[in-house]
Amino acid sequence: MSHSLGVTGTYPLVLTLWLLPLLGAIICWAFGPQLRTMSGWLASALVGISFVLAVASWSDATQGAGGTLGAHQPLASWLPGFDFGLLLDPLSLIWTFIITGVGFLIVFYSIGYMDGDRAFARFFAYMSFFVFAMLTLVLSDNFIGLLVGWGLVGLASYFLIGFWFERQSAVAAARKAFVINVVGDVGMMFAIFLIVANVHSINFGAVFAAAPALSAGVLFAICVTLFIGAAAKSAQIPLHTWLPDAMEGPTPVSALIHAATMVTAGVYLVARCAPLWDHSHGAQLLVGGIGAATALVGAILGTAQWDIKRILAYSTMSQIGYMIMGVGVGAYEGGIAHFFAHAFFKAQLFLGAGLIIHALADEQDIRAMGGLRRRMPFAFWVMLTAVLSICGVPGFSGFFSKDAVIYGALQHGHPWVYATDIVTAGITAYYMFRLLFVAFLGEYRGEAAQAHAAAEPAHRPHAPAWIMNAPVAVLIAPSVAIGAVLMFGGENSPWQRFFAPLFGATSSRAIALPPVSEGVTTLLVFITVIIGFAIAWQRYATRSAQADAVARLRRESERMPALLTNLLYFDWLIERLFVRPAQQLGALFGRVLDPHVFDGAVRDLVYWARWLGTLVRSFQTGLVRAYALILVAGAACFIVYYAVAAGVR
Amino acid sequence: MVVPIGDYVALAAVIFFIGVFGVIVRRNPLIMLMSIELMLNAGNLLLVAFARLWLQNAGQIFAFIVITVAAAEAAIGLAIIVTTFRPERFVDVDDVRSLHG
Repeated sequence: MSHSLGVTGTYPLVLTLWLLPLLGAIICWAFGPQLRTMSGWLASALVGISFVLAVASWSDATQGAGGTLGAHQPLASWLPGFDFGLLLDPLSLIWTFIITGVGFLIVFYSIGYMDGDRAFARFFAYMSFFVFAMLTLVLSDNFIGLLVGWGLVGLASYFLIGFWFERQSAVAAARKAFVINVVGDVGMMFAIFLIVANVHSINFGAVFAAAPALSAGVLFAICVTLFIGAAAKSAQIPLHTWLPDAMEGPTPVSALIHAATMVTAGVYLVARCAPLWDHSHGAQLLVGGIGAATALVGAILGTAQWDIKRILAYSTMSQIGYMIMGVGVGAYEGGIAHFFAHAFFKAQLFLGAGLIIHALADEQDIRAMGGLRRRMPFAFWVMLTAVLSICGVPGFSGFFSKDAVIYGALQHGHPWVYATDIVTAGITAYYMFRLLFVAFLGEYRGEAAQAHAAAEPAHRPHAPAWIMNAPVAVLIAPSVAIGAVLMFGGENSPWQRFFAPLFGATSSRAIALPPVSEGVTTLLVFITVIIGFAIAWQRYATRSAQADAVARLRRESERMPALLTNLLYFDWLIERLFVRPAQQLGALFGRVLDPHVFDGAVRDLVYWARWLGTLVRSFQTGLVRAYALILVAGAACFIVYYAVAAGVR
Repeated sequence: MVVPIGDYVALAAVIFFIGVFGVIVRRNPLIMLMSIELMLNAGNLLLVAFARLWLQNAGQIFAFIVITVAAAEAAIGLAIIVTTFRPERFVDVDDVRSLHG
């Protein structure tokens, strides 16, 4: 009956790497006040050990072939057909690498970033808990385990967005993120209902084996409901509005959860359920289209932001749009490659932004920065390499992964998606270089904040700078070079060969002859990137623009089109379509249904009971003689009755 | 001479209704208690008379039981009356209305 993917057996490494972060969370939570700053070292050490174990289980994850690829560790059996277990195959291995590897660097960085915070240990408890939840998500071998992980990462995200809960805006953002994520969870739940009703199993292996036999309508419904979950988690339109607000959390949280790992869970889901998408052309079209639209919308919105973290948030949304588009149309290797490269350069961007924010005493507005190239040369080089990578400048990691995704859209027969992606690449170059130029070139424009920052370190102890600089420096290497090392060489690249056992050869799925070759695609993307770069250069980096920066930036923020300042009216529309009607329905219930129906029924019951009581009580006079009279009257009635009855007989 | 059964019944009815009348009309609890005794004894008279008529001794035994119960009832009733009305100089059941609804 074994439909489990992977070679079933006992894998202590997999179990340990899964549970270590949970152990870290429990220890940091229970002994936070005793551990103090040690909690940060402990949490990062345990996540680091998890990463080492993940590397060590490489051979387990790539063993076997076809239906039994990877390592399958059974955990518990519930009802027949509902067995739980862990599955480490090439797909979950890649995610585990990022979650524990990049996770380790970010948790380590947090030791410096969160230094002096009152709730230092609580932060690391949450971070460790998140890593455990995310590992649960990617290591589950069935849909219910996946849903459990799905819910737990949402919870961890809620905790961490609202980490500084004294701030009203942080609490509101946390709540918004949680509610939208629960919308996705409910979508996934319905997908699982559909799967159980049609396949009678929750195990990935059994479900995928049964996928070709399902009717097109059922398969499409399963894919759509699954994708509702993916869209909410991965900030795809129209469920993306929580992600920019989620930047209220500490910057390492934005780097780990809202850039590198959790928001890519949707990409994982679609890639994991590749056998379902392969058999549903409608679902491929839908997911590919939404991914491309999200990439475009995110990029457009990114051009209108001034908050450095919100720019990065929209850029994350846009890049995840690329990934979702890639895995949606069937270019799984490309989508996952972009996830892999993006995790490095986006974590680097966020951590670099964290360096700036930390140095400028929590200033996040790029209009109040400027001239940081001379003041913070390290941060400048960090941001520059990451920006070159995300824009897809040839040779950098982002170039290989993004080209693979964009060309994948064409290979799988979606020319419109392809065209949208090329345009988006140009806009990406524009807003990323805009960020770089405005923040780092020209003269420094935030003297007040700087004076504040200068006064600040005297008040609180500071961790040595290397704790924050070292992880960022480590990230530069993969975000520059991992693409050239792994993804160079098309079909024969190490990346493609790594995933070939899982997804099959690309050529077997793609259409035979795309109208445009890969070289031309690269050229087109490069041209749009150059155009985007040139516009940004012309507006922010020329000598006259730098000299006149203050006035120019003020003019730009004043003349920003209403469409962009209102974020394309997504929030407005959701507010009008769902939030307000729900509030009005609630108010209506409170005004009509509750007092007149539910409360009313209870009140009426009380009224009639009281009326009956008053009636009966009037007989209870307390006068003995009255009772006697009633007794006699009753007896008289009996006597009359029997007398009459006897008379009749 | 044999007294006809109708006379017994008539006498018992008269005594019973005197008792009923006393309970309903009088306000002195002692008189009311005596009236209750009258009613009980009217019942006793009927029990004994019919026992004699049908030669069934069970009726006479019942009469004894009623007499004992009546004695107990009188003892308890008198005790209640004494404790209830001890603080007052006059006895009137209409003054005792603490059980009214």
